[in-house]
Amino acid sequence: MTIRKYIALMRAGIMESLHFRLGTAVTLFANLIYLVLVYFLWKAVYASSGVDVVNGMTFNDTMIYLILATALFNFLEMFVVWDMSRSIQSGKIILDLLKPMSFRTYTFWSYSGSHVAQFVLAFIPTFIVVMIVTKGAIPMGLNLLWFLISVVFALVVNFSIEILVATICLYTESTWGVNIVKETIVLVLSGASIPLAFFPDSIRTVISWLPFRAIYDIPLQVLLEKGGSDTWLGLAKMYGMQLGWCVILYIAGILFWNHAVKRITVNGG
Amino acid sequence: MSQEAIVMENLCKDFKVLNRHEGLKGSIRDLFSRDYKTISAVKDVTVTVNRGEIVGYLGPNGAGKSTTIKMMTGVLEPTSGKILVNGLVPYKDRTKNCENIGVVFGQRSQLWWSLPLIESFKLLRDLYMVPQKDYEEMIELYRSLVDIEPVLHKTVRQMSLGQRTLSDILAAFLHNPGIVFLDEPTIGLDVSMKSKIRDLILGLNREKKTTVILTTHDMGDVDALCKRIIIIDKGRRIYDNDIEHLKSYFGSYRTLRVRLDNKDEWEETLIDEKTTDVMTVITEYQKSHKVKDIQLQEISTEEVIKKLYEGGTK
Repeated sequence: MTIRKYIALMRAGIMESLHFRLGTAVTLFANLIYLVLVYFLWKAVYASSGVDVVNGMTFNDTMIYLILATALFNFLEMFVVWDMSRSIQSGKIILDLLKPMSFRTYTFWSYSGSHVAQFVLAFIPTFIVVMIVTKGAIPMGLNLLWFLISVVFALVVNFSIEILVATICLYTESTWGVNIVKETIVLVLSGASIPLAFFPDSIRTVISWLPFRAIYDIPLQVLLEKGGSDTWLGLAKMYGMQLGWCVILYIAGILFWNHAVKRITVNGG
Repeated sequence: MSQEAIVMENLCKDFKVLNRHEGLKGSIRDLFSRDYKTISAVKDVTVTVNRGEIVGYLGPNGAGKSTTIKMMTGVLEPTSGKILVNGLVPYKDRTKNCENIGVVFGQRSQLWWSLPLIESFKLLRDLYMVPQKDYEEMIELYRSLVDIEPVLHKTVRQMSLGQRTLSDILAAFLHNPGIVFLDEPTIGLDVSMKSKIRDLILGLNREKKTTVILTTHDMGDVDALCKRIIIIDKGRRIYDNDIEHLKSYFGSYRTLRVRLDNKDEWEETLIDEKTTDVMTVITEYQKSHKVKDIQLQEISTEEVIKKLYEGGTK
């Protein structure tokens, strides 16, 4: 069974991320500082607006959304671009290319383990804390299951974007700038740093069709049963959106990557 | 299965590189330049390697060794010529080809840095879909060849360079590939570790009939491991034969060392046996001196190779 390969890679990934337990603690601490900042920032925003509900979200709604977005960010964060540029410079990439599966599959499953570990170590504790502090503001029902499915889609979309950007870096031969641009775009347009409800209508329409929303906004909407995800139709729409982007980005990534690899194999690393 | 592990016929590889100009002005010009030049890294190389052979693949730095290895592993596509590895065209069937080759690059490790070696082994077992029985047999074989206990439960980052290289070699053989490429496996290792690693490679080659392609700059490796060597320089194959033949490549040279009269130092004469007889030289010495001691030395592989690299073809 081929699945054995993937499970083995995932297992090694989990073990590797558990190895750096101090790193996890530092991440949690950094989150705390970031969230304190977010808390006061939005408190000021709400205080200056003079009303309790801004763009259909109360202060509590916003905070829950952003805290969960941060937790989700920790767990979805990938370093494909950095790792790849490093392994190209050191020449280590040849060892990854010589694994008995495609580079893309290999990379995806190598990362999958750390996602699982981060989900348990970062996301679940945050989720529980939010539950306790807000005394159960997050609905507990089937939405949890829908959320998990939607997170898997989000992961694939995120990975596909990473691989696309990493491939761009193969051409530009510089990583830093391209990667910063990507990170900023993803964070702003996905709802990870500002809830999408706060964007002006026209921009929001555009954003709602872009793939970035599929990474943070859709899973969070599903979890919080917002944005129509509590109806079957709404849920199907959101899944459709995610799935659509999965397919589009997957195909684009493969075509682009094959082209890039062709270039490498023809012209050397 | 055919007899040949690797077949290369008239293999060529060209690289296109941008002509870089000097200075800041030059750099700006390069931004828009379409001025490429073609560099031939490998020219017209024809080599056949049979199964079970250990072949030394030698050449000075920048001769095109790595480029050839990369073509054999499928990472690079040749510009022209034919290449078959285990009957497959490597750059077309890269993934499939990878299942039947193993690689060790002396400078880098394919092992999982923060995991104990045994975990890396298990992971490779699953990646290459090695049946549990074969895997256990392989580990048993490893045990009989080297003392793996001290490294088995150590994480790779805690290992010494020697232990890491040893582990990497074991990892490359784990899925019992038909061919293993060893790129400078003994670089930076101490004498005892070097000989340990050579014994290991010989043992694995003997037990598993694995074809080994070895690139190295250490002639000790070549003497200990290879019966056959291939030398390339500036992309061309300049030598492909037994190591024994190599010694007579520039004629049958031997060094005669004699100690004369009551002096302590040795006098050395390099004799080409095609033109002069060693006995004549000794008789010549005896005519004028009293010969106290005689030594006859074969020319070393290292000296021949050095001459080859420096002088090119004869």
